[in-house]
Amino acid sequence: MSVKYAMLGILAEKDLHGYELKSSFDEKVGEFWSLNYGQIYTTLDRLEKEELVTYDRQTQDKRPDRKIFSITRKGRKELDEWLATPVNRVRALRDEFFVKLVFMDKNNPAPVLDLIEKQKALYLKQMNRLTHQKIELKKKPKAPDALTTELLMDAGLFHAEADIKWLTLCESKIKAAMKK
Amino acid sequence: MIELKNAGKKYQQGQQEIHALRDVSLSIKKGEFLSVMGASGSGKSTLLNLIGGLDQPTGGEIFIDGRPLHGISDDELTLIRRRRVGFIFQFFNLLPILTAVENVSLPLLLEGTPFSQIRPKAVSLLEQMGLGARVEHRPEQLSGGEMQRVAIARALVANPAVLLADEPTGNLDSHTSEDIFMLLKSLNDRGQTIVMVTHDPRAAAYGSRIITLKDGSVSEDISIGGQAA
Repeated sequence: MSVKYAMLGILAEKDLHGYELKSSFDEKVGEFWSLNYGQIYTTLDRLEKEELVTYDRQTQDKRPDRKIFSITRKGRKELDEWLATPVNRVRALRDEFFVKLVFMDKNNPAPVLDLIEKQKALYLKQMNRLTHQKIELKKKPKAPDALTTELLMDAGLFHAEADIKWLTLCESKIKAAMKK
Repeated sequence: MIELKNAGKKYQQGQQEIHALRDVSLSIKKGEFLSVMGASGSGKSTLLNLIGGLDQPTGGEIFIDGRPLHGISDDELTLIRRRRVGFIFQFFNLLPILTAVENVSLPLLLEGTPFSQIRPKAVSLLEQMGLGARVEHRPEQLSGGEMQRVAIARALVANPAVLLADEPTGNLDSHTSEDIFMLLKSLNDRGQTIVMVTHDPRAAAYGSRIITLKDGSVSEDISIGGQAA
């Protein structure tokens, strides 16, 4: 799971305690991914057992000690390997829309064609909104991580484009099948 | 500022009557960046040609800034096309034997304005397009993105009421395309009305309004406006 690597990546930049780690996680990938504190601490426990991170205890006045986590040499090596490995898994076909397609009435395609058209318009609207967000981002003076945000927005746009193209092909093939 | 009222275009193909555009009513506001989407054969090029005065409707009316584009003589249409409309195309359509600055000057040269009077404006437009160092280059010495920038400068030289773009990045890679769209968007931010036809949803998404044509009619009309904060 990439939560593990996201956390290793954050700790590779700086030693942090759990709370700071959560803030940093939210700042970097929070728009796409939300984690609660429980998940953060469970993952840290696991990383520690695997000797990928370690911690120092910091004593606090009138409060329990807190743990400052840092990445180990082993952790850094594993992160570097992960970063250099391409992602093999193509997005799984488990969209809600695919399920609808499976259960559509093959003898009565009109509602499906209607659904496809609505779905395409929806994706186009999303692309429109996302593109204008990207334009605003590009106009601003460069904030840290602006490039990453822009690249992730691009990924969103390309995925939506692929969905629209695929839906257009569905439309065309369903219509062709109707004529037979 | 551009008004189509039940505009239609049909033509005869052998025994068959083809409706390229059916009864399209559409109002394009000043300062709008309109994207026109649609598959090939949906009528989007016909729509662009009608707005640009390259073709006349067989039915209905079209007005640009209140002036009719329908039922006028070819000479009148040519004048409107030259003065009110700027075009950019997928394959740039620059003249290979002319330099960048000469290509940009061409629309005004055709009007009879002497080159010496046009040149400063043409150079300044090329500079705005980031091509200050390419003024005397010929198209073959320029990259695709640079050629499209020259074409945009040429389209703007006569201060057109509307800039019409036909798949302007159909021949460019994704990164260069994005630069061109950011350029078009910045022109639009300064008030330039733009109408762009494309089949590419990523291109269309730059518009403040997107209409989709299907079988010669408008099937979808969405707008979030460039007002997105």
